Formats: sequence, C-alpha cells, structure tokens
Amino acid sequence: MTAKRVPYRFSVNDYERLIEVGILTENSNVELIRGEIVSKMPIGDPHIACVNRLTRLLVRAVGDEAITSIQNPIKLKDSEPEPDVVLLMPRMDDYANGKATLAEILLVIEVADTSLEYDREIKLALYAENGIREFWIVNLIDGCLEVYRQPNSDGTYAEMLALGGSETVEPLLLKSFVISVSSMF
Amino acid sequence: MTAKRVPYRFSVNDYDRLIEFGILTENSNVELIRGEIVSKMSIGDLHVQCVDILNRLLIRGVGDDAIISIQNPIRLSDSEPEPDVVVKAVSAKGKPSASDILLIIEVAESSLEYDREVKLPLYAENGIREFWIVNLIDGCLEVYRQPQSNGMYANMQTLRAGESINPLELPALTLPVALLL
Repeated sequence: MTAKRVPYRFSVNDYERLIEVGILTENSNVELIRGEIVSKMPIGDPHIACVNRLTRLLVRAVGDEAITSIQNPIKLKDSEPEPDVVLLMPRMDDYANGKATLAEILLVIEVADTSLEYDREIKLALYAENGIREFWIVNLIDGCLEVYRQPNSDGTYAEMLALGGSETVEPLLLKSFVISVSSMF
Repeated sequence: MTAKRVPYRFSVNDYDRLIEFGILTENSNVELIRGEIVSKMSIGDLHVQCVDILNRLLIRGVGDDAIISIQNPIRLSDSEPEPDVVVKAVSAKGKPSASDILLIIEVAESSLEYDREVKLPLYAENGIREFWIVNLIDGCLEVYRQPQSNGMYANMQTLRAGESINPLELPALTLPVALLL
C-alpha cells in the first residue's frame, strides 16, 4: 500500500465539543495530537507501577507548591495530549474552570516502555514546539531518566541529560525539590 | 520517524452525529474510510470536466431507471465515502447502502493509487456490484465486477477509446468509452 489517507484535523475547540456532546468519552481512550484524534497506547503493568510510584513521590515532595495531575489532558495549540504526569502551578479552582495552559505547566513526565519511540519522536517534538519548559521521560527500557530542557520552536530541546540510578534531579521550576532517580524505578 | 499514531475510529452513527452537531460541515471536505475521518483529495480541472461529462451522459442515458448522485456520501459498514458518481436505485432514500447501489464511478487523475488501493477494496468488501475507475492518467476505463469479501473484484477489464460499456445493472445503457476520456 502506497496510497495514503490524510487524516482530518480537528481544532482543540471541536475536540472539546466531541467530548461535551458525548461522542468521545473517557472510554474512547484518545488524545488530540496535532489535530488528529489518536488512540492512546495500551499500558502495561510496569508502566502503571511507575506512574503510581511517581504519583506518591511527587505528591509528597511538592507539598503545596504544585498540583500533581495524573493522565489528564493539557491544552496546547493544536493538541490535547494526556501525559502520564504533569506538575501544575497551584490554582484556587484546582483547574475546575479550564485545562492547564502552557504558563501553568511546570513539568511534564512520560513513562516509557513500549511507548519510548512515540514519546521521543511525537510527544517530545510537540512539547518542545509548544514551549513546555521541562520534559522528562522515565525510560523503563534503559533504566534511566531523560531530562529535556530549553525548548526550541523547531521541536527540539537544546539541553538533554540522561540520569542513572545514583543521581538526583531537581526540576527547574521547583527548586526546593530533589528526587533520586533510583526511587522512580 | 518510526513511531506511528493510531487513528481513532468513529462509527458511522457517530460520524453522522458529527455532521448533525455541525462539528463537521460541507466545508470540512472529508469522508469516513474504515472509521477514519480523512480529508478528500483536491480535484483538478480535468477531473471536474470528466465528472460533468459522466453526469450528463448518465442522466440522459438512464432516464427514470436510476438516480445519478454526484460526489455525495454513501453508507457502508464502517465507512461513508463520497464517490464521484453513484448510480442508485430509484427507491433509495437518503444515503444509499450497498444494496441500493447499481454502479460506482471514481474519476482518477492524482487519486489513481488511492482509488485502486483504498476505495476498491472498500467497495468490493461491501459488495458494490460494479465499480469503474475512469483512469485519466492512462486514458482508459477500468471496470471491476464480481466483488469478493476479501476486498478484491474477480473480474477486471480495461477498456479504451473505440470500445463501449454496458453497466451490468443497466444493460440498456451503452456508453462509448471515448466520451469519458
């Protein structure tokens, strides 16, 4: 097959209407990536366990300085991805009145086993282009934490660190907080 | 890039609801192909001209025996494509389903691969009894008959200028291929 189907691109507003009128539901298990409604990858047990660990670590570590939001959508220019973990600026309404936008996002984390390529090629480019200031991939395949900083509008990050088990990491925008990489695995 | 995005698949009913709610409009220029909402290809002048010719010839040729529906959707099991020309039974109301359809014609210029690789298996699987591709690239008419559930047609003929064609379901109609090219 060489003939290609060109997917229709939905706006973020139309995507939200699909949810509002019930054509897409929580069970649809989708996200909006550059206007395309795509199915989310199925998640394996190690992935679930890692998200659970991160949730516990982060909620304890950030205290009231950030909201830890798990597998919830964020609103970007032409996308509504659902990262595994997002740390958000505290907001009085706990984001009842609208999804987080760029300025409110302190850190995005994806946990990657089978999704490693997808997270590095599709999610990373999307987050960088949209100016997400810090992006981590908890790489379960190689047992390391990939830290990406200094987003460029061309969809790359200028700074990339791969941290191993004995190292620690401090999010750029949450200085009081130090987390050991080994505790994520 | 090796990572793939897996498109979400809409049902025909949900697709119709998207239209009903005005989320998709005529200007969206899409069709539903195996649950995926895909953008239709842009159409060139030759393509437009050929569809207009087919429209005229067919309307004159079939009289009151069939309805000629141009670039309108049809309803298949998980798809709502919009073929260039559909010849449907007079009794068909609204979007026709496979059993209402006597003949589908796609005019192929830039869309030739798409019509052969994506549309053809879709029509065959859904039991569309006769499918033509007016192949403007090679200057011929491709006639496909005897749809198989595996997405192929058992019978394929290529006709050129000088020959003529009678649709299976409208045997009284004779179209000289030269008029279409």
